[in-house]
Amino acid sequence: MKTYFQKSTSAAPLAVLRIALGLLLFVSIIRFWAKGWIHQLYIEPKYFFPFFGFEFVTSPGEYIYIIFAVCGISAFLFAIGFFYRIASIMLFLSFTFIELIDKSTYLNHYYFVSMICLIMIFLPAHVYFSIDAYRNRSLAFEKIPQWCVDTVKLFVCLIYLFAGLAKINSEWLLNAQPLRIWLPSKNDLPFIGSIFNYVWVAYVFSWLGCLYDLSIPFLLLNRQTRLFAYGAVIIFHILTAILFPIGMFPYIMIATALIFFSPDFHIKLLNKIASLFGKAQPLVIAGSRFEHNAIMKSLVLSFFIIFFLIQTLMPFRYLAYPGELFWTEEGYRFSWRVMLMEKSGNAQFMVKDKEGKYAAIENREFLTPLQEKMMATQPDMILQYAHILRDHYAALGWVAPEVYVDSYVAMNGRLGKPLIDPLTDLAKQEDSFSHKPWILPLNNEIKGF
Amino acid sequence: MGVLEKSKSILTFILVVVLSSCGGSDEPSPVDDDSKDREAILIHWADNIIKPSYNNFSSKLDVMVSKADEFTASPTNSSLLEFRSAWLAAYTEWQKVELFEFGPADKYTLRNFFNIYPADVSGIAANINDPAANLEVPASYPRQGFPTLDYLINGTGGNDAAILQYYTTDADAPKRIAYVDKLVSRMSTLLSNVVTEWNGTYRDTFVASTGLDIGSSMGAVVNAYVLYYERYIRSGKIGIPAGIIGTMVGAPYPEKVEAYYKRDISKSLVKTAHQAAIDFFNGKSINGGSEGPSLKSYLDGLGAKDPSSGTSLSTIINDQFSTINNKVDLLSSDFYNQIQTNNQAMVDVYTNMQTEVRYLKVDMTSAMSITITYTDNDGD
Repeated sequence: MKTYFQKSTSAAPLAVLRIALGLLLFVSIIRFWAKGWIHQLYIEPKYFFPFFGFEFVTSPGEYIYIIFAVCGISAFLFAIGFFYRIASIMLFLSFTFIELIDKSTYLNHYYFVSMICLIMIFLPAHVYFSIDAYRNRSLAFEKIPQWCVDTVKLFVCLIYLFAGLAKINSEWLLNAQPLRIWLPSKNDLPFIGSIFNYVWVAYVFSWLGCLYDLSIPFLLLNRQTRLFAYGAVIIFHILTAILFPIGMFPYIMIATALIFFSPDFHIKLLNKIASLFGKAQPLVIAGSRFEHNAIMKSLVLSFFIIFFLIQTLMPFRYLAYPGELFWTEEGYRFSWRVMLMEKSGNAQFMVKDKEGKYAAIENREFLTPLQEKMMATQPDMILQYAHILRDHYAALGWVAPEVYVDSYVAMNGRLGKPLIDPLTDLAKQEDSFSHKPWILPLNNEIKGF
Repeated sequence: MGVLEKSKSILTFILVVVLSSCGGSDEPSPVDDDSKDREAILIHWADNIIKPSYNNFSSKLDVMVSKADEFTASPTNSSLLEFRSAWLAAYTEWQKVELFEFGPADKYTLRNFFNIYPADVSGIAANINDPAANLEVPASYPRQGFPTLDYLINGTGGNDAAILQYYTTDADAPKRIAYVDKLVSRMSTLLSNVVTEWNGTYRDTFVASTGLDIGSSMGAVVNAYVLYYERYIRSGKIGIPAGIIGTMVGAPYPEKVEAYYKRDISKSLVKTAHQAAIDFFNGKSINGGSEGPSLKSYLDGLGAKDPSSGTSLSTIINDQFSTINNKVDLLSSDFYNQIQTNNQAMVDVYTNMQTEVRYLKVDMTSAMSITITYTDNDGD
């Protein structure tokens, strides 16, 4: 064990990751801005759905543009390795702040970006091929500890494995859900479209997708299969980019998986880039090795032990809840459960007060279309919205308003049914990490993880 | 379920998968390519439903325009009666095109100018006195179209003689005549804008957009269809006058019924509109009445069904349509009266329509993988 932590490797792979990730995030922010999503998602809504325990994070209105600017600039500084430590901290904080504002915008790939940025804060990704190292030669090193690169590999492996495990269930493998619903909607694509009319294609895609997630970490780790595996990574993620509206995620994963290639590959790649800028190669003292100082090293290692412990346990926290995970979504987020459900719903809220006042709610008067869509299928958001309504009507002078919901949710090809007990006064329920007993059961067991 | 039971279920599952993978799948697969050909559906919609419906409405509206011209040229008892019956025929035919609020109709927001009610009586009076009144702004919607004509030819006096007086001997009569003329010719112009586009290049644009994402034809049609059914049939014709939806409700608003001044046609209008929605779902051709590629055939092609009972989703939806028809048949032809005497019958219709809204808005769109109320965004 001790010798493992003394092992060295080239600093180039982390430098490539830093540049690729930073530039992709920089482009992501510009894309997000250009599409008008900042206004649409963080300024237009009258209300937000913060995460439990992070209620203090809320949109600062028009100032959100400053946060996006900070995020974009830090991503760029991160890429070029200029004031790397500060840039990586600012990138992590600004990106995570944005993602914590509203649950409606939660995506697993945003969570991935937050976490990889968090990891990068603690890694020496700036000691090679960076402005920092160029300006200050005492920061430039040829080698870094092996575990620094392995940390990233471990994280990427965990994600694929958990995404694969999450597919080992009766919905995905035995019913080919939700792909059998999603694929026919793409049957007008040129060349390959017509195959999506066949149900067996959905089965093939489901099984291959599951096998891909479960095996790709090992195929990438193994030198002999690496090139083949990377080809699979490209094909898989490009296919998902064609079939589903998932933005920058495929490209981020394709870039991240480069970390598995040998130091030689990365050194050559960087030398190529250097020659574009008219430099022969990065200037470093041959054999020099970066080392965290003793205190930092134990802090950083402790951090990573805790980090990976949490990462390993999070996807299993659903076991602590009764009921069907896909239906209740208790323990669903932050678990790398990706593209597992076709879920859609409709929620009609009623507010009553002690004096006999009554209102049937038009959701669009309170929520944006995206918020309404997300809220209608997710119990914790339904509760948050019920509290928004309670407080709104209490402020109008209604006496102790009660809030009820008539909900209807369809999931993975089942006929819709009520998600929430219509007789529960949601105004009186409090949010917590414990089970929400007012979620009605699915009464239809989904077997597997 | 406890952790132990869950682990057990996981182990059982793995065993089942391993065993069944040795066997092979016996999944019945509906391999009917044609039914999932969205272009065929779009062609059928455009050529056999939408365009013929607009043509029918257009000719009814033309008759109304000429009868209105005769009336305004010489307001007599007989020209009033003829104008009225042409108005009723056109209003009824309108119920068969109001659901097509996508493409050109959406571009010109046809519904806003044709059928927003209740009519704004004081606004109409103001517009009559101001010949330059702007008829494009939202405040003007309830001051034009069929509901305003309803007021002008059925509600401006206690009897026909009084109504005729309103257009003949009253001091403001010429201004009123001018307003009727203005409204009627405006309706004619707006409709011809829409019809011209459908008869022009839009039809091919519509048919060529075969995807299901933002901006696709079927996505737009299904969103417009579901919105129409929910907001303009369920809420507009039933829920709002019966006092079921909206804020601070409780008391019914019988004066908010459709065709409030004509009074005895609310039921026939809702029946016509509802039947048009049913026929569209089933892809019934306007001429000949045979069924073609449709939402129904597409859902059947996808194999959409209730897995617990095996009933196809299209059957569930059609059965619910029949249930609603039966409930509507129980209503009086005059909703104003119905709401005041037995509002529960209205509530029954509403409740059943709400069930249908869910089949259409949740089950149907989910099975088709169509997003309701598109917002441009990434997913994962």
